[in-house]
Amino acid sequence: MGLIQRSIEDQGIATISISLSKEITGKVRPPRAVFFGSFLGHPVSYPGQVAHQLCVLRFLLKYLKEIPTPGTIIDIDAAVVDNCAAAAAGS
Amino acid sequence: MEFRDSPWTRLDKDLSGCRLALITTGGVHLRRQLPFDMTDPDGDPTFREIPSDASPSDMVITHNYYDHSDADKDINILLPIERVLDLKQAGDIGHVNHRHFSFMGHILHHHLDTLIEDTAPKVATALKSDNVDIAILTPA
Repeated sequence: MGLIQRSIEDQGIATISISLSKEITGKVRPPRAVFFGSFLGHPVSYPGQVAHQLCVLRFLLKYLKEIPTPGTIIDIDAAVVDNCAAAAAGS
Repeated sequence: MEFRDSPWTRLDKDLSGCRLALITTGGVHLRRQLPFDMTDPDGDPTFREIPSDASPSDMVITHNYYDHSDADKDINILLPIERVLDLKQAGDIGHVNHRHFSFMGHILHHHLDTLIEDTAPKVATALKSDNVDIAILTPA
């Protein structure tokens, strides 16, 4: 996936990806990536968990804007996404 | 494949004005589209175009290298096609592009050359022609 991301970024489009393996992502060096500790087949949470899915996407948008250095991988603990989803449910 | 540097496009625009597209490597395609080739052990470097107004019920996954039983129930965990419309509705982003793209993320050997030299640049060019500002990529 990192190879596709590199190609799109080369076209002048800002990209960010979800990493399932920091080791592999570190080798391919896409411009921006976030590691949520997601399981294979579940990059954007679980079925029906709309609040979690939106939180994952909002974290991606946040870091798409904020990452200052090419090749950065942001590490986000699953609890942070859980808290985001809980806060959204309570609002 | 290893790289020592990363390409970089600085995002100067506000997200609320950006056009977003999704790219997945989860083997998603429309039922009416040709499935990804599972007979080639080196994978399939082609891609499928997914209209942003496609219904999840119109989508299937052809990819034998991971358990997609949960994504079969809710495609948004792989290709968050409905969630990005929610983000647009909420004002987080300006526009959802009229099309997203899907690959099959098990591409080896000579097919890597096709991906790097042909199919990935074609998708990148298509997104550029759509005036896409930002792209989110999701693996399987």
